[in-house]
Amino acid sequence: MEGWSRREDERLLGGRGRYVADIAVPGCLDAVFVRSPIAHGLLREVRCDAAREVAGVSGAWSAADLSDLPSCAPSTAYLRDLPPVPYTGVARLSTKDAVAGREWPSLARDRVRYAGEAVAVVVGDDRYAAEDGAGLVTCRIDPLPAVVTPAESATDEVRLYDGLGNVAFQAAAGRPIEDHVWRRAAVVVEAAYRQQLLMPTPMECRTILAVPGDDRLTVWAGHQMPHRLRRELAATLGWPADRIRVVVPDTGGAFGSKSPTFPEFVVVAFLAVKLGRPVRWIEDRMESLLAATRGRGQDQRVRLAADAEGRLLAYELRIDADVGAYPHLAVGLPLQTALMATGPYLTPEVHATVRSMLTTTMVTYPYRGAGRPEATIALERTMDTLAHRLGIDPAELRRRNFIPPDAFPYTTPTGRCYDSGDYAAALDLALRTAGYDDWKAERERRRADPGALPLGIGVSCYVERSGGEPGALHEFAAVEAREDGSILATCGASATGQSHETTFAALVAESLGVDERRVLLVEGDTEELPEGVGSFASRSAQVAGGALKQACDLLVAAARERAAGLWELPVEEVAWSDGALHPARGASAAMGLAELVKVTGPLRVDGRFESGMAFPFGAHVAVAEVDPELGTVNVLRVVAVDDCGVALNPAAVRGQALGSAVQGIGQALYEGIPYDGDGVPMLPWGLLDYLIPTAAEVPPITIAETSTPSPVTPLGAKGAGESGCIGTPAAIVNAVADALRLDDPGLLQTPLTPDVVWRAAHTRRQEAPR
Amino acid sequence: MKITLTVNGDDVALDVEPRRILADVLREDCRLTGTHLGCEQGVCGACTVLVDGEAVRSCLMLAVQCDGRSVRTVEGLSGADGEPHPLQLAFSAEHALQCGFCTPGFLMAAVAALEADPGAGAGDERVRALVESNLCRCTGYEPIRRAITRAAARLAARPGA
Repeated sequence: MEGWSRREDERLLGGRGRYVADIAVPGCLDAVFVRSPIAHGLLREVRCDAAREVAGVSGAWSAADLSDLPSCAPSTAYLRDLPPVPYTGVARLSTKDAVAGREWPSLARDRVRYAGEAVAVVVGDDRYAAEDGAGLVTCRIDPLPAVVTPAESATDEVRLYDGLGNVAFQAAAGRPIEDHVWRRAAVVVEAAYRQQLLMPTPMECRTILAVPGDDRLTVWAGHQMPHRLRRELAATLGWPADRIRVVVPDTGGAFGSKSPTFPEFVVVAFLAVKLGRPVRWIEDRMESLLAATRGRGQDQRVRLAADAEGRLLAYELRIDADVGAYPHLAVGLPLQTALMATGPYLTPEVHATVRSMLTTTMVTYPYRGAGRPEATIALERTMDTLAHRLGIDPAELRRRNFIPPDAFPYTTPTGRCYDSGDYAAALDLALRTAGYDDWKAERERRRADPGALPLGIGVSCYVERSGGEPGALHEFAAVEAREDGSILATCGASATGQSHETTFAALVAESLGVDERRVLLVEGDTEELPEGVGSFASRSAQVAGGALKQACDLLVAAARERAAGLWELPVEEVAWSDGALHPARGASAAMGLAELVKVTGPLRVDGRFESGMAFPFGAHVAVAEVDPELGTVNVLRVVAVDDCGVALNPAAVRGQALGSAVQGIGQALYEGIPYDGDGVPMLPWGLLDYLIPTAAEVPPITIAETSTPSPVTPLGAKGAGESGCIGTPAAIVNAVADALRLDDPGLLQTPLTPDVVWRAAHTRRQEAPR
Repeated sequence: MKITLTVNGDDVALDVEPRRILADVLREDCRLTGTHLGCEQGVCGACTVLVDGEAVRSCLMLAVQCDGRSVRTVEGLSGADGEPHPLQLAFSAEHALQCGFCTPGFLMAAVAALEADPGAGAGDERVRALVESNLCRCTGYEPIRRAITRAAARLAARPGA
């Protein structure tokens, strides 16, 4: 630990991290998938014969071929056809109704529904051989029309599933708003926004290694929910869960995208079991950009009404989401946007509706922010337009409408119960840190100077939800005191870069009053913990942290019980301090945990902790100058003030806030997935086409925080890490709109490429200046 | 094809297919898995290693091109006594890594620049240009910039530097 800020650092900086692709297993086969070049069509034929003749190729199969695959072990003979992809049962992400009649074959069977859908798999001694084989697989697909946008999907002219409509899920939050509310309002702003599709783009793509043995399967995967993966793979194979062990080693980022059971995972597990050989799939970047899950993807229409003083009267949000070709993973995700539509304001009436539409594109799934950025961007962009129409300073408009600190717990019209907040404090700190008044003066100076590039200031206030949804607000943890004096702590969270080993070990040490060096934290191994939930929805500090704290308390209680028995004292007369037990009276000396375990046997407590939902919040400010002739945006300043309650590890929280803000900049300015007329993503040059920010695109960013503890968790911690994706994009877009003095926010649809900005600036000039 | 690479100071005799990229040979044949593949098209830089002291994308180079040459990977960064390189310590101190997947590439790009020209870490613009060469999705880059600046100052203050 000496000299290292985090426990993870020594191995990761020394090249001794262990990611799935680093694990050497003798005799392991590399799997390569053959993918459909066509978005939508009837799959007539897949021919793998030529692939099988390639040196180093051990097998090549379409879905139909796999039905004839003999089992190497009699115990797996019952497994005949390749199982389909399971649907997400947690957090209302998918439903039985949505998937009824819509099977997702793990390899396409009769029809392909997105470009990149796997039609065959080839396994070889190494990836080179497997790719040689994959190159010789041929398929014949009779094309059907592609359906790329929600608007095309809504017509049902082309149906993805025969006999079923394209709307796979509908929901609403809040009550419909009556016409008179809009009629009586002093101002009603209407706008339409497109929340473009984004690739999460962790630097490590998806990975799985499945090793069979003794009628069991050990699965190594970069993953956020190892217990879910175990459960779903077991159900897929028809096995009890305890025959599968899932281990998550070092994982190179996830950002929400690594928590389901992917089609490729089903194929790899199936092959490993049927062939009786280790099989791995290490996704490459080109494949990832085609066939990994995407985030966002909503067409939104909004109406926001206010009185003449700027008090909000009503807000309506209509969401048509493109959820991709299969509703299995996250057809219900857009509901998160609807539930959070109220934002941080006292708006008395809010109504949000969702239609999740199937399109012939890869599936949409959580990506950092997962529904909250879409809610925040729609509301905050509209708030700025409202402020300009009313002639009220955008910051002042927000202040007039914030839910006040004494109103918590506050139940919103869209049914969320916010736990705590001081929204004005966050905004004030953000404005002060940014130097708001100075920038306003600079903006006015430039407006008076025809030679100056226009400058704009954007504000974005957000409130988000952390912890998860009912049914997934719990976590499991265990703490064990060992004879050698060490403490083994384990929980169901699964880090993909968030410093859990450091943060949680410190939390356990502090909770028990022992030296941190005595604590070992183990995560991401289903063998260590019978049940677990995982890391998503900004839940680890809040929920897993709470579970570890509770387990420590239980361990202390159990230790006191034992000591009481040993010393023949009532338990109230056994005190606990500084990691040791102290008798209130009698001749016995104080006893440490290690000694207690030596005398009384192994001591481990397992606990399940149930959290409430928490609602982190913040305020982001961006300043940007725009070149109307070139359409370029130069972000001069970003200030992000976030409040995640009590930060367990402030350095880790700040690090994630900064990284998240840069992802938010990517969303606002650079990232998107264009599709051609045939529904194929136009990213032929990989990361040269899908532009995640480099250091060259990062403006000066200041991260600051307020801290309003959550009353719903014992540690006061709310979730952290997604704030930048939620708060930053609208601040940047608002700054550009402000610079161009646009009254119609619909002129700026993200990403704000030079083309988009130039067109918006050009349109503005044809209008009367506002 | 038989080749010899000097990898982190040790001569390694290998028999490799001519088409195998350097990164795969380092990772699979030499079992030096600290070199990571993030894009296999030379954009992200996670696979950056030093060949004869120069930073290269090991996904864009064939192993056979390195026959008889010296290759340095992240595993060869610490001193002979196991003492961490100032860059490694600075990355930790500045929280310049989160998931750690891109980190070896940044370390190797930085060490190449600083060894070629100790002044490379002195100016803000030069460090910024260095950081711009690779992709990171976790940190937002600023901590990486600070870490390289910090390590450069430390290296410059070393006796004999």
